[in-house]
Amino acid sequence: MSETSPANPFVRFFDRVGRATVSGVEEIGHGGVLIGECFYWLFYGPRVKQPVRLGSVFHQMMEIGIHAIPIIGLLVAAIGAMLAIQGIHTLRIFGAESRVTIGIAFSVVREFAPLIIGILIAGRSGSALAARIGTMKINQEIDALKVMGVNPVRFLVVPSLIAMVIMVPALTVFGDIVGLVAAGLYVNADLGISMAAFFHDIVDILTVDDILHGLGKSVLFAILIAVIGVVNGAGVVGGADGVGKATTRSVVQAISAIVITDMLFAFVATR
Amino acid sequence: MSPETNPPPVTVIEVENLVTHYGDREILKGVTLDVREGEIMVIMGGSGSGKSTLLRHLMALETKTSGTMRILGQDIDTLDQRQFFDLRKKMGVAFQGGALFSSMTIGENVMLPLYEHTDLDPMTMDIMTRMKLEVVELGGFEDLMPSELSGGMIKRAAFARAIVMDPKILFCDEPSAGLDPVVASALDDLILLLRDAMQMSIVVVTHELESAFKIADRITILDRGHILMVGTVDEVRNSSNERVYNLLNRVPEDDSMDMDEYLHRLTGVEVNKDAAL
Amino acid sequence: MKHEIREEAAGVVVAFEGDVDLQTSPDARKVLLDCVRQGKSIVVDLSKVGYIDSSGVASLVESFQSARKGGRNLVLASVSEGALRVLKLARLDKVFTICDSVEDGLAAIG
Repeated sequence: MSETSPANPFVRFFDRVGRATVSGVEEIGHGGVLIGECFYWLFYGPRVKQPVRLGSVFHQMMEIGIHAIPIIGLLVAAIGAMLAIQGIHTLRIFGAESRVTIGIAFSVVREFAPLIIGILIAGRSGSALAARIGTMKINQEIDALKVMGVNPVRFLVVPSLIAMVIMVPALTVFGDIVGLVAAGLYVNADLGISMAAFFHDIVDILTVDDILHGLGKSVLFAILIAVIGVVNGAGVVGGADGVGKATTRSVVQAISAIVITDMLFAFVATR
Repeated sequence: MSPETNPPPVTVIEVENLVTHYGDREILKGVTLDVREGEIMVIMGGSGSGKSTLLRHLMALETKTSGTMRILGQDIDTLDQRQFFDLRKKMGVAFQGGALFSSMTIGENVMLPLYEHTDLDPMTMDIMTRMKLEVVELGGFEDLMPSELSGGMIKRAAFARAIVMDPKILFCDEPSAGLDPVVASALDDLILLLRDAMQMSIVVVTHELESAFKIADRITILDRGHILMVGTVDEVRNSSNERVYNLLNRVPEDDSMDMDEYLHRLTGVEVNKDAAL
Repeated sequence: MKHEIREEAAGVVVAFEGDVDLQTSPDARKVLLDCVRQGKSIVVDLSKVGYIDSSGVASLVESFQSARKGGRNLVLASVSEGALRVLKLARLDKVFTICDSVEDGLAAIG
């Protein structure tokens, strides 16, 4: 580092805040450029004989999506049951337990399924992506790709991004169903409302808009997870500890981005 | 292969006045260099001499500040993306740590350039892959993962991958680093074999004197971003240049220093010279 | 790359002309495998081949292997020094029968 830090602690504090802000903006910029590059290679790649390989996309889809089904099923079922329990408990105050279905329907489909799945994929696959790219960078594997004439964005990033954008919404649909079934089972056991009646209510309550609201968010989450993972991985410097730091950062950033985006999306979409 | 052969040697790499920066620091300060067809050019220099940087620029991995670079007769600044990819196919690189893709088998690693760049029949690719693995004496290892190989084997597999497309130019970054002398010497023999059998031009960056003297047709000595000398093994050995002599005989750097600069390095605080006096 | 096929009593002579490289080796492979499929022994005349790369050599290896499977032979004739070096690199000079001329080749497969 050739920059000299100012002696005054007060000035130094602002100096640090300034630098952090600049590097944060820079990273967001990297992310934006990366998305652009992904589109470029997806559509222009075949023309320079650099097509995105379907095989890699499927491989990533298995890794990101299919292998995550058990844990996601478990978590979303728990969330569904939890919503039923809390809902019934709260509504009992007003003697309106049977109205619990409305709360469950909206909160599972619009909020919890996309959110929980986004967070889980960020922890599971976003971190893996950061670690993989970081490791490849410090092992010069990225350089090796470049000198072979294989564009790393096309070869590594686009398959992961596409796989995320397909699998996160797909998992969200799966999560919607599992969450509602689990909630229905609890409602059935506690209040004695039949599953058929429960789902009849659900279908009545939910509109296509509600489902699209959840899916739209999950697409945004997917892009955020992939881009944050890649930007952190590509920014790795040093050795194995650098990879560890990047992995942790990618999870923290991805989850924060998901939660904040979720709030903004809900705000904009309900206006 | 003496450099004085007739007709005049064909140049595969021409670098003129290459200046590069890393951040604000000037690394290469006007490097001019040529590599001829079918020769092994060894680039030597102490740490911080810029030899690794020079190699990265020759492989077109970095952006230069100024100067020109012609590879296989093409000015790399004038190439469009397609031409650039085509040029890359004629260059192979054996990285210092091998840089094999850890999620792929040895065979898949070696085959990747073929798979990405050619429309050959899978059978042809498979035979080519196995042939190259035979060349580096790793026949039968194609189904192993890189993690199952020793350091020397990984380097040889990296060579197999580097030559699978029969490149015109092969770059080797510290081929003998981290290997025991016997394995390192076998790798030197492999480099010589590739030059003789395939007429490749090979650029080797190394700090191992013994290896350099064994394989080099010509040696370039870099020192603090400048080219100190370019010459044959004998010319380098008999050089009267003091700094070349020091490098070859590992004489420590002279200890004269700029006191202010040194204090700055130690304390991290820059002294404003005008104010201090 | 051009090629010429000549029928002889002992088998066919396939003469290639030009460079056998990544672009042209698929054609060379097809020509050779077609001859093998017709159940003929082959002399590959390389006298007019300037440069043969590994994909060309790989095609020769594949054709040789399938000729042997069918009980036929494949020999190389008039191999240039450059091509011989490439063959030697993977110790293929010990695998192929390498003849000085097409006549010797025909005698070898006869």
